[in-house]
Amino acid sequence: MSKHLNDGQLRAALDGELEEAGTQHMESCSLCKRRQYVIQSQMEQAARELAFLNSPAPTKGPAANTALNYFHQSNNNRKEIPMLKKLLPSPLLRVGLAIVLILAVVLSVPSTRALAGKFLNLFRVQQVVVVPVDLTGMQQLTGNSTLGKQVSELISSSVTTQQKPGRPVTVADTAKASQQAGFTVRVPQIMTPSRISVEGAGAFTIKVDLAKAQSLLNEAGRPDLVLPNSINGADVSVNIPASVSVAYGTCPDPAAQDTASGINSNGSAGRQYPDCVILAEIPTPSVSAPADLNIAQLAQIGLEFTGMTSEEAAAFTRTVDWTSTLVIPLPKNAATYQQVTVDGVTGTLIQRPADDAPQYVLLWVKNGIIYAISSLGTNSQQAVQMANSLP
Amino acid sequence: MKGRKTDPVDSRTGSIQASPAVRSFDDLFLEHWSSIYRLLVHMLGDPAEAEDLALETFFRLYRHPPKTGDGYNPGGWLYRVATNLGLHSIRSFKRREQYEMAAGKDALGDMPENRPTEIFESKEDHRMARLALAKMNPRRAELLLMRYSGMPYKEIAKALDLSPSSIGPLLLRAEREFEKIYRNLVQEEP
Repeated sequence: MSKHLNDGQLRAALDGELEEAGTQHMESCSLCKRRQYVIQSQMEQAARELAFLNSPAPTKGPAANTALNYFHQSNNNRKEIPMLKKLLPSPLLRVGLAIVLILAVVLSVPSTRALAGKFLNLFRVQQVVVVPVDLTGMQQLTGNSTLGKQVSELISSSVTTQQKPGRPVTVADTAKASQQAGFTVRVPQIMTPSRISVEGAGAFTIKVDLAKAQSLLNEAGRPDLVLPNSINGADVSVNIPASVSVAYGTCPDPAAQDTASGINSNGSAGRQYPDCVILAEIPTPSVSAPADLNIAQLAQIGLEFTGMTSEEAAAFTRTVDWTSTLVIPLPKNAATYQQVTVDGVTGTLIQRPADDAPQYVLLWVKNGIIYAISSLGTNSQQAVQMANSLP
Repeated sequence: MKGRKTDPVDSRTGSIQASPAVRSFDDLFLEHWSSIYRLLVHMLGDPAEAEDLALETFFRLYRHPPKTGDGYNPGGWLYRVATNLGLHSIRSFKRREQYEMAAGKDALGDMPENRPTEIFESKEDHRMARLALAKMNPRRAELLLMRYSGMPYKEIAKALDLSPSSIGPLLLRAEREFEKIYRNLVQEEP
């Protein structure tokens, strides 16, 4: 080939995509080489600006098998409402409400608190809403040892673990944490962590026995609350991504928090860990569930059980966007909460005053990652500043 | 039910029934899910939105698969659909992006003087590149996205129904357009 190469051919040559004849010409043509040099400098500029498109993904995302399963279940829903954006979160929220209902029961049972800790990580949420609840019904359950045992049995017989997250592993720095957890961990750069730990991914399924669950409600004095048939035997599968916990100050060993003897049950924790602040980060978990779970009905039952009247529960259910909201039931008089702007989004600050161990937790969701900053102190402004200083 | 294809999913159990057509779809899903999701995560910078659009991409494959025969290339077809959905999403998110940028600048203003700003700048660069892609001629933006996601010319040509020899000239034109828009965006920023 004696004819000089055109600009397009010179560009292709930079990618090693030029045909044989053109490549041979390039080797002996200084003019083409000079022209290619100019093109190369232009191309390199664009290449630098677009290089992020071929870098490792910041988050692994759901595995193909999990996504396929979810796809087919979502596809069932589409038959009813052909709007993807409205539908995809729906199964999650259907599950979410079922779990909030279960949570309301589980959280007060000490032997199942460790399990409840896993449930709290379930939701694929964009915002958090707190609802004050009256735990009289709950106390009726926990104050009765027979009922409490039945609740524990219901939970343990409903949940099958597919993948155990294992004990948290301490890592050297955030780069290693990001690598192990599969997403970019954000930390305040002006603070030095005392420990960074990564907890592996987990997966489990829930299958609720309607008769047993209804029996518990009856025995708790609420036979008026009738669980829907759709909850019976419904298979809900949950995949929880790996999470990262970054501790500042003197904090308890994260492995020890897996047990019921963690900081929450230790009255002297406030004095033991006065400067401990923990920043936790976890990508949004994925959940799949049958399409026919009646989420509104479950939500209303859960809210009524936790102290609302039927009318109040119905009104609250209507005001919440269930497609993107995690509803946290908060015991009345036990804690206060407020909305705060952090990290460019709206977060929720929950504070629990106590003489020996006041606590607070700041929760927010950004770019698919759920963040929580918690401490046993009262200086919640520190959490807000930390959140706002994340890169 | 006239003309409707067999439902691949058992509506009671949610399990996938075995049939040749469905196997084909499932195989395609399993083969391409990761690369489509990864492409969209990079395009959007938002894992949740990327997952939604990746699922939407496969939904379109499920409902309206490309015709089989000469030139049948479901992988390229998926890339095209995903890049179009991603570009559309970036365009519709412009307002939000502007808000996020303002919030990011506020955060930067709060930083102590010795605080490194490289991470912020890197994110800014990515945001700017995404906006530039969204402003480009869609066909050229598609080409850039495919190339810079690592696709070889032959595959790009197949996906876009072009001859492999035309990719070099088109790519050069696309890069020039991208650079021009990118520079303008940088200059427009106060």
